[in-house]
Amino acid sequence: MVAWTGVSLPDLVLSLADNKQMLGLRYAEWATRAPSLEADIAAAAMGLDDLGHSRVLYGCLEPLGADPRGTERESDAASLRNLPYFDEPWTEWSQFVAANAILDTAFTVMIEACVTGSVEVLQHRLRKMLMEERYHFLHGRSWLRSGIETGPLNRAWQEAIEWFGPPDGDTARLHREGKLSMGPAELRGRLEEQMETKAPQTEVDWKQWDAVRRRGRKGAIDAHTFGMLRGLEEKKYAPPTAAKQAAT
Amino acid sequence: MSGYKRVSGDAIEYEVFARKTRVEPLHQVGSVVAPDADLAMAYARATYDEERWCEMAIVRKEDVIHLWSPGQA
Repeated sequence: MVAWTGVSLPDLVLSLADNKQMLGLRYAEWATRAPSLEADIAAAAMGLDDLGHSRVLYGCLEPLGADPRGTERESDAASLRNLPYFDEPWTEWSQFVAANAILDTAFTVMIEACVTGSVEVLQHRLRKMLMEERYHFLHGRSWLRSGIETGPLNRAWQEAIEWFGPPDGDTARLHREGKLSMGPAELRGRLEEQMETKAPQTEVDWKQWDAVRRRGRKGAIDAHTFGMLRGLEEKKYAPPTAAKQAAT
Repeated sequence: MSGYKRVSGDAIEYEVFARKTRVEPLHQVGSVVAPDADLAMAYARATYDEERWCEMAIVRKEDVIHLWSPGQA
């Protein structure tokens, strides 16, 4: 049995925010590489949507009473609470589709659990996301139906189930307390219901699972992406005289 | 004309209709190409986001019944 680690609702919301931010970035990276012009535009639009959603989620942390973010987030990529699936840019369209269909929908299912839970700030602020996410779901489901490689698909399912948490952990406790309307089993069931299929057989070693980062594998986002998140990458493109002008 | 065809294979063309306010009628704002209605809805919403439409709808182009075309009246 996995002991309760004291992970709180703000921790879960921060994880959701970090994952939405990374999902938005990875979508946007495909805005010029998708199989069609319409898919390019959809990738950009979904990227913008999810980046906006992450900002709303970050904004919920203070009203929830405890912002778990520390100064380590400025220097340590491993302090971000994203899934391993987002650690590296995607190189195949199948990875995009699997993330869109499975992981984006998993995040939406968690948002549903927050909106229909007992915490007022989440009920009100997250509701509109569900309408926008409907179109992400239609996009992912349609592309999934056209067929993708099983590797990325199975990986996305595995990480979604890990992200929902162990049967007796923090999400189960938050469900018992009424803050979430669904626990891990219900979240998985809802995801399977949305995808109209059972999840593939998965083995999760909950002893190795990081309850704060909600992932079973070590690692972090790549240095280039972390630099972009911190706004440092843009400075590489500034002309040499810009710093001097700024100083005078 | 180059003979370029936008729709090929199993792709279907959908006309996109929208309106900004309830007092105005739905009008065509463009079209999208997709293999099914789900993807067409996602593409229409993403592509035609220049206004805060109060309503948007898509119709398969082949389901539009033309009474007459320009020059035929």
